[in-house]
Amino acid sequence: MGGYLQYVQTLDYQALLPAMIVGGTAVIALLADLLLPRRIANGTAILLGVMATIMAGLYASLSYGVHYLAFGGGFVLDGLSVVFQEIVLLSTLVTLMLFNRRGVSEDRPAYVALVLWSSTGAMIMAGAGSLMTLFLGLEILSLSLYCLCAIARDREVAKEAGFKYLVLSSTASGFLLYGMALLFGATGTVTISALIHPATGIHGLYALGMGIFLIGLAFKLALVPFHIWAPDVYEGAPLPVTAFMSVATKAGALAALARVIYTAIPQPDAHWLLLPTFIFAAASMLVGNLGALAQTDIKRLLAYSAVAQAGYIVAALAGATELGIRSAVYYLAAYAFMNLGAFAVAALLSSDREEGTQLVAYEGLAARQPLLAAAMTFFMLSLAGMPITAGFLGKIFILSTTIHTGYWPLGALLVIGSAVSFYVYFKVIRAMYARVERFSHPEVRPPSQLPWIAVAICAVAVIVLTFVPVMPGDATFFVK
Amino acid sequence: MESSVISWPLIVWLLPIAGAVAIWACGPLLRRFAGPLACAVIGAAFVGTLALWPAVAAQPAGVHVTMFTWAPGITVGLLVDRLSFIWLTIITGVGFLIHVYAIGYMEGDRAEARFFAYLNFFIFAMLTLVMADNFVFLLVGWGLVGLASFWLIGFWIERPIAVEAARKAFVMNVVGDVGIMLAIFALFATFGSLSYADVFAKAAQGPGPVMTLIALGLLAGACAKSAQLPLHTWLPDAMEGPTPVSALIHAATMVTAGVYLVARCWPIYQHAPGAMETVGVIGALTALAGAVLGVVQWDIKRILAYSTMSQIGYMIMGVGVGAYSAGVLHFYTHAFFKACLFLASGVIIHNLAGEQDVRKMGGLAKRMPVAFWSMLAATCAIIGVPLFSGWVSKDAVVYQTLAHGHPVLWLLGVAAAALTAYYMSRMMWVTFAGSFRGDEHGAHAHGHVPAWVMGLPVALLGAGSVVIGWLNWPHEGFAEFLAPIFGGTDVAPAAAWGGEFLSTQIPLFIALIVGAGIAYLQYGTAGALAQAPARLEREAAAQPAFLVKLYYWNELLDALFVTPARALAALCARIIDPKLIDAVLVRDVATDAGVLGLLFRRWQSGLVRTYALTLLCGAAAIIVYIAVVR
Repeated sequence: MGGYLQYVQTLDYQALLPAMIVGGTAVIALLADLLLPRRIANGTAILLGVMATIMAGLYASLSYGVHYLAFGGGFVLDGLSVVFQEIVLLSTLVTLMLFNRRGVSEDRPAYVALVLWSSTGAMIMAGAGSLMTLFLGLEILSLSLYCLCAIARDREVAKEAGFKYLVLSSTASGFLLYGMALLFGATGTVTISALIHPATGIHGLYALGMGIFLIGLAFKLALVPFHIWAPDVYEGAPLPVTAFMSVATKAGALAALARVIYTAIPQPDAHWLLLPTFIFAAASMLVGNLGALAQTDIKRLLAYSAVAQAGYIVAALAGATELGIRSAVYYLAAYAFMNLGAFAVAALLSSDREEGTQLVAYEGLAARQPLLAAAMTFFMLSLAGMPITAGFLGKIFILSTTIHTGYWPLGALLVIGSAVSFYVYFKVIRAMYARVERFSHPEVRPPSQLPWIAVAICAVAVIVLTFVPVMPGDATFFVK
Repeated sequence: MESSVISWPLIVWLLPIAGAVAIWACGPLLRRFAGPLACAVIGAAFVGTLALWPAVAAQPAGVHVTMFTWAPGITVGLLVDRLSFIWLTIITGVGFLIHVYAIGYMEGDRAEARFFAYLNFFIFAMLTLVMADNFVFLLVGWGLVGLASFWLIGFWIERPIAVEAARKAFVMNVVGDVGIMLAIFALFATFGSLSYADVFAKAAQGPGPVMTLIALGLLAGACAKSAQLPLHTWLPDAMEGPTPVSALIHAATMVTAGVYLVARCWPIYQHAPGAMETVGVIGALTALAGAVLGVVQWDIKRILAYSTMSQIGYMIMGVGVGAYSAGVLHFYTHAFFKACLFLASGVIIHNLAGEQDVRKMGGLAKRMPVAFWSMLAATCAIIGVPLFSGWVSKDAVVYQTLAHGHPVLWLLGVAAAALTAYYMSRMMWVTFAGSFRGDEHGAHAHGHVPAWVMGLPVALLGAGSVVIGWLNWPHEGFAEFLAPIFGGTDVAPAAAWGGEFLSTQIPLFIALIVGAGIAYLQYGTAGALAQAPARLEREAAAQPAFLVKLYYWNELLDALFVTPARALAALCARIIDPKLIDAVLVRDVATDAGVLGLLFRRWQSGLVRTYALTLLCGAAAIIVYIAVVR
């Protein structure tokens, strides 16, 4: 390993540049906070963040089609990592726009910096080629999120959320690290794609390591029974942060999971090893949708819905087929925008103090804000999987994947879960179109147009995905 | 046949939505002209439908327009073959007449323009449903007609009953939509495509249980939309909507979508015999159950609603036994006579300033001759007086049950026919014979809309109720016309049970004489008419509660589904989400019971621990699993 650094090429840094742009801008945002008066600093920070994510997104898209192992395989540049980085960046963009909510009083630059850092972590996870990089990315992501959850210090729920997330997520990280150590012990390597030992097959240490490692990922994906933290944390965190967690964190963890399933596990005899993960996915579809039924708070409702949706996506990976990863990437992209859109509407309707997240506040919305209600209806229908929405197509793809790979019970549960989820999402729609005499909740009056633009971006993205359902072949390419 | 440059299907399909958008956008500008514009649009669509006739007649496969490929296996296009053409003529033709009628009926309403925009939108949705060439579009149309129905039932939003009825219809239809959606998922998983052509071509290869599942999912949709048992309760309540809506949506077109669905998907049902048997049985039971409930109704629109339910039961029974063209024929004649009945009842209601109780009518034959004669023709059709249209089609359906080997369904059909004859002719005598029993003298002020606007559609539909069945002559014209669709599978192999005349026409005629005869003796004789007011009151009081309460079906649904659903939600809250219990349940209890509150606080303080424990249990489970399996 001596003299390794001399082999690091310029190209290696270029592969990492999008993540570096985002992470670096966070520092600039904090500097702006120091140097500029508070009034200007808030807007400047958000603007900086928006520009950084757009630039990073454009730069990342330039490397689409390039396949390269940067830093000796530590960071992978391939179709999959680019697509996942783009999803993370777009959700960061929407999240930043949502910070401009009614009743802004907190210091935005801190928010912006933390979101950018967690975004950096998620992007590193998306391209992680070795277990070390993966853990690094995960911790950058998580550490920023602990702070973000608890950032509204004067809210009791926020402190509770931050504490819970810290304790539970650290436990999960512990599992992840322990699993990695065992994997390293079993195989003598930390490069994910080198974990396979075709000659020796799966031996005990490897299996144990992989099993424990997957627990850590299942926690980040909030799969049942490791979802238990999600509703409380989602409820306590500020709404834009919740939106970010429900998409970017999942995208990062999903990229890692896909890479491990597709490149690190010898497929034919991996069935039994991955079975627990898919059982968790199946349980998530049921528990997520049933749990959402009972909710009266939009954040908790979407938290449970996110649990179920993660279950759908993981189900697509069962069997590790080409069709599977395509379905998963398509559904993740669709889910990202439907979910961000729903959160964006929720953010518009609630204040910085997290008032107005109860479903009651949505009653009669259609009469007052017909466009906003229409957008929300669209996102809800898409999440439910109503025909001619992207959600419907994604579910159809995943369903046919599970049939092809023989994991049809997952498909059956997806169908049952979707049937239940209809009532969940219709609950929101019904509330919006209910006729009420008097509106008890405050008006929608954000300080700028940014949240509205966020809603529009999400709606357009879902529509585009609806009509361009075929992912380019390279989007799901793995470097092995 | 791929369509030529001028794509008539596309024009017919898009005209109504253009009309709806135009009227919705320029409503205030159009004022009184919203109605005529809506009519013109639907009239044009009707002309476009007729223009499709040569192509449809020449091409057994129909006219097919492919619009675009949406995803692998899912192409989107329009298909006008003989089956959808039959529906098109009713949707645009009868739809046009009802639009014209609505100009008179809705005159002076606060939101006239909105009404016509909805009505045009409904026609568009219905066209989407029947012109789709794939299951996705079918479901889109299916959902949109439900939405239009929801808007129109609850059109008079100031009436809470109407809003409640609209909501009920919507919820019950969502149950059906989910059924169809599940069927679509299963179809795609099995066949890898959702276009009719692909699916039906491969239907024989589908595994039996899956086909049954698909067929039952579709049946759930059909039952909800067509008000069949056990999802029928929304239809009578839907009568809270304006009468043209009842005629168009809840009699002639939308409620027959279930019949269309089963007829369209006949290759699926052909390979799911169990599901098909279920279709036939549900249809027959609904035919009888609807007729029985028709006997205890006094609200003229509710009488007609139950008769609609019952008549659709006949259609479903027809397609359920495999006599697809007979079921479709009954749909065709029913569209005329039932629309006529509703519109004529609308004339009466309009002239009596909103009175709907037949006990407060009587002697209206002279006051409203057009309504009377049209309604008489339509009633003769529905009860099956020989040579009238209903006679032709009902005979065909009932005979086909026998010919396809279902004598029990035949019996149910004949029994329902006798009841229909009874309650429909009773309605005629009570409404039109004798003397007027109401309190008001119908001083309805006529506006600037001439009387023919409402009279002419009623009269035309009345004439249609007489003659339209003759299309089936000289010899099974409908079955021949539809032979390219059903491939001749729906024609019974040989004359059964001594031929149609002996086995069906004679029994049905006897049923008609018995039903109408009893009604005449009770309500039609001079003596009965003289003492009508007092007797009607007495009879209404003496009706069995079991029937007046509609078999307690609403209560049953509540007990079976609504209450358990609430309980399940509470249970989910308890098991899956401990936080909710804290917020909703325990906090209330805790304030009352100090001890419990203390206990709970302790538990809550350990919440993170509880969560971590859950996490560790999951992890332990995996490790044990790996150790065991390894």
